[in-house]
Amino acid sequence: MQQLTEAVEMGNLTDAKRLTDELLKAGKAPLEIVEQGLSPGMANVGEKFKSNQIFVPEMLIAARAMKEAMSHLEPLLVRAGITPKYTVILGTVQGDLHDIGKNLVGMLLKGANIRVVDLGINVTPDQFVAAVKEHNASIVGLSALLTTTMLAMKTTIKALRAAGYDSVKVLIGGAPVTAQFAEEIGADGYAPDAASAVDMAKKLVTA
Amino acid sequence: MNDRQRFNATMHYQWRDRVPICDLGFWAETINVWKQQGLPGWVSGGYDTTTTDEFFGMDAYIGGPNVNVGLCPPFEHLVIEDRGDHELVQQPDGVQVLRKKYMGSTFHPERHLLVDRASWQKHYKPRLDPDTPSRYPDWDEARRCWQNSDYPRPRVISGGSLYGWLRDWMGCEQISYLVHDDPALFEEVVTTITDCIVEVHQRAFDNGAQIDACAMWEDMCYSGGPLLSPETFRKYLVPQYQRITEQLRRHGCDVVWVDSEGNIEQLIAPWLEAGVNCVFHVEVGTWRQDPVDLRRRYGRDLLMMGGFDKQLLAGGKNRIEAEIQRLAPIVDEGGYIPFCDHRVPPDVTMSNYMFYLHTARDVWAKQVNLKPFGALATSDPVRSPTASDT
Ligand code: B12
Repeated sequence: MQQLTEAVEMGNLTDAKRLTDELLKAGKAPLEIVEQGLSPGMANVGEKFKSNQIFVPEMLIAARAMKEAMSHLEPLLVRAGITPKYTVILGTVQGDLHDIGKNLVGMLLKGANIRVVDLGINVTPDQFVAAVKEHNASIVGLSALLTTTMLAMKTTIKALRAAGYDSVKVLIGGAPVTAQFAEEIGADGYAPDAASAVDMAKKLVTA
Repeated sequence: MNDRQRFNATMHYQWRDRVPICDLGFWAETINVWKQQGLPGWVSGGYDTTTTDEFFGMDAYIGGPNVNVGLCPPFEHLVIEDRGDHELVQQPDGVQVLRKKYMGSTFHPERHLLVDRASWQKHYKPRLDPDTPSRYPDWDEARRCWQNSDYPRPRVISGGSLYGWLRDWMGCEQISYLVHDDPALFEEVVTTITDCIVEVHQRAFDNGAQIDACAMWEDMCYSGGPLLSPETFRKYLVPQYQRITEQLRRHGCDVVWVDSEGNIEQLIAPWLEAGVNCVFHVEVGTWRQDPVDLRRRYGRDLLMMGGFDKQLLAGGKNRIEAEIQRLAPIVDEGGYIPFCDHRVPPDVTMSNYMFYLHTARDVWAKQVNLKPFGALATSDPVRSPTASDT
């Protein structure tokens, strides 16, 4: 397990795959591999990223290794009927096409064993509302990188509330976004980076 | 003093009549909005700042003959696919982007031609050949400018980009994977780009180039810091930057700036090691980068341009004036040319910008030898001052 955690941290694709297969063969449960092998790896990566010990490339590489390992585990988890407890609908708001930051947030959320439905970029308020309904989500994560598209966050929150989703938590982030802005537009949480996004998401669902 | 003398004196902490008053520019949308607020019709926004410079009485921080150190010839402009109100086009750098028709300013990259060694060798490497004649200006004409000691504008040569171009050509994710998966190819690409820059510069120097500054572009930081670790930066990029900056210094050019937005903090030290001594447009951002703080920590070794928080322009006049005053001591000290930390966005009113500029001209430039400042349109919005001056 420890080795798998390290392989993810180092972004070692081949090792991550091999070790996952070995653990499965040795009879480890898929969920255990996720929770004790992969997730701690991604959590470490997120912490190191937050404290500037590693940077965007290292994080992308680690996430790629985790994704590869997950592709071996996911079918088994589905077959066993094991699904993550919480679902986050994630997307870059309308008019905005930046997705690198949002993708990192998605990767760490998945790493923390939270289900992520990624709607991609340029997502309209209606699409967010529809996805919340379809996936019975607990959190909506909105990303915006442009000062102009930040305003679409407000519209999206309004649309969610108007559709009656008052208890769905809205978490926002992106370079121009601040905690103050989050408060102004009635978001439930803000996080400055991907690792804090995971902490905040957990906090919001347990609050 | 002309713009060039003032620029050089400022960058060398020498006496000058006043600091240059410049700006990075304005979004096209900003200028359009300001036209309803009295800005004359002949002023236009966007990347070409000729008319805004003229209207606002700006000094030049760039000029002189230039060479092309980039992809030559550029990729052909092609409309690859018509998708109704959008079109997929090939840009000059080979990247295929999806953009809204008639509204060229926003785009999204869909396909990158540079994906591996084969595509590098086929599409990009041949375009980094210093022998391509279209890289060079007419040498006789260029020499006349270089030898003219009264040349009015700073003579700035472009120094290209060692990471930023590659990031654009491949996409942020793919370049990140490349550094990890095939460092040899990454190194080869960066070395080839540098070979081209150094050789093209050499030919300019052989033809008598006298350069005041060299401008590089990277845009390699975001709100959280650099898009590449300082370690990778030092390992692969610093040695290449050094080849460029050492050659420049041998030929008398000791101001090398790098244009990068975002939170550049962690790259300042490696840039200084690399011989890049000026940071261009110091973006304040939500991470609160501050020229006063940078001066305190890096001293006079670090030259700076930009660093005035454009967000303040959308707020109250008191805060604009307070910030101008706060920056004044380092403006007076030299080695710093203050201007907005990015293009002025449309939420800034014309009246606020005018207030900023008036105050800057008062406090920073002390109203000494300033260029005429345009007046808001009254009767004839299409009349150009150049037309009437000549
Ligand atoms: C890469 C980039 C691009 C790429 C995007 C590629 C892609 N697939 O995403 C391309 C080239 C396409 C692009 C296009 C444009 N861009 Co751009 N871009 C950038 C750049 C350099 C880096 C952004 C980035 O990826 N950072 C890395 C990631 C990891 O950081 P991040 O996104 O901030 O995410 C972190 C946190 O914010 C947070 N986070 C992010 N999302 C979320 C979501 C939640 C829920 C939470 C909790 C947290 C969170 O966690 C992340 C990880 O820690 C920034 C510079 C900057 N200063 O940010 C400009 C920048 C964002 N772009 C800008 C502009 C203007 C544009 C264009 C309009 C340019 C043009 N003329 O076409 C277009 C707009 C296209 C559009 N409609 O969206 C401006 C925005 C200015 C403004 N004030 O609005 C910036 C700031 C550059 C600048 N200073 O001018 N861009």
